[in-house]
Amino acid sequence: MAATLTSKRFTARDEADAIEMAFDRGWSDGLPVVAPTEARVRAMLEAARLEPSHQVGFVAHRAVSITAEKVAINAVLAGCRPDYMPVVVAAVEGIADPRWSYHGPGTSTGGAGVLMIVNGPIARELDINAGDNLFGPGWRANLTIGRAVRLVMRNVCGSLPGLLDRGTLGHPGKLSYVIAENEADSPWTPVHVERGFRPEQSAVTVIAANGPHQFYNQLSNTAEGVLTTVADDMRISGSVMGQPTYVVVLAGEHMKTIAADGWDKKRIRQFLFEKTQNSYAHLKRTQRMSGAIASGDEQKMRPLVATPDDILVVAAGGRAGAFSCYIPGWGSARSSQAVTKEVKR
Amino acid sequence: MMEILDPTTEAAATQTIAYVPRPTALQGKRVALIQNTKYNSDRLLERIGNILKAEYGVSEWRMYNKHNASVPAHTEIIEEVKKSADVMVAGIGD
Repeated sequence: MAATLTSKRFTARDEADAIEMAFDRGWSDGLPVVAPTEARVRAMLEAARLEPSHQVGFVAHRAVSITAEKVAINAVLAGCRPDYMPVVVAAVEGIADPRWSYHGPGTSTGGAGVLMIVNGPIARELDINAGDNLFGPGWRANLTIGRAVRLVMRNVCGSLPGLLDRGTLGHPGKLSYVIAENEADSPWTPVHVERGFRPEQSAVTVIAANGPHQFYNQLSNTAEGVLTTVADDMRISGSVMGQPTYVVVLAGEHMKTIAADGWDKKRIRQFLFEKTQNSYAHLKRTQRMSGAIASGDEQKMRPLVATPDDILVVAAGGRAGAFSCYIPGWGSARSSQAVTKEVKR
Repeated sequence: MMEILDPTTEAAATQTIAYVPRPTALQGKRVALIQNTKYNSDRLLERIGNILKAEYGVSEWRMYNKHNASVPAHTEIIEEVKKSADVMVAGIGD
């Protein structure tokens, strides 16, 4: 006999009525939801092999226990297929991790989305997009997994827009912000392997992040040329003074150009770290740093991030087009760190 | 007809928060000001502290700095506030 589901129950006339109830009760992100019936919720739990009372995460600052039952209900609302549930669970474990520090990105005026990078075999099994139209639209897994996590933040953790979630602007990635790494075509070490997992493991990395910034370089056929362009764009971006994590997503053409020169991710990070520094004088002139310009400020340089390792390099995006992007993290690395969790099946 | 499940958190009956009773007056009370380190938050709180002293008769105020604005107050300052203050002022302003 399966364990009882303890959530409060409501009666709807039909699917359409259930959708309206979800809007009326404030359970939705603004889009219609799938009605969370017991059978659908149980299918989610079974796919992740979790008991309903299992604690997926505990957000200490909010004193909120996130149970598998609530994650499953929100995954149904979001439109997930049951086999997506292990990825949703791993991502929720990530945002409840003290290193991710929910207190900031779950509430801040800075408007963080939860960027999720999926690695390992599960990305291909679930058809999580790593190619064309990387950030959407078009792929159910990408759009519903991230939506489920945001609904957990809203419905379980209380991050209601305008109340606990005080994002000044927010961004479209706050609806869903899920990508996979293009491991099939990438010449580089995958993100999860760089972060301590084995290639055959599946993992999701959660990062509190601003929106993606696309850059264009159709001119250069060298690694240095392409990366010089993105470094120049990145140098003044995001909160500049915050020193957060940055994610650099290199799509097909740029990936090939950079790899053809023999550059690995470590060398890319080091190059970007060195080429994205600002002088104290510039930061003061542009009102990003307080105080008057002192002697030596033209030469004194401040890095964009604290260390080269605060730049994550991801191979993903369409094969055609001289475009890639960078994503400024939210806040600072000391306010919220990228966290990688294994997808358990 | 169909039955659907509530996706929101319902507080468990066993979960309770023990609130300290609110003081009926501030006269003679010690005040802790929790500073989140954003620009000018120290000046704003200092002003509040001085008003509480001049107009409400609090005996003293002390300011405590968080590590940064995006993280909760750390254990050390919470423990210190518990020992040395009767009321506190905490908030967030951008």
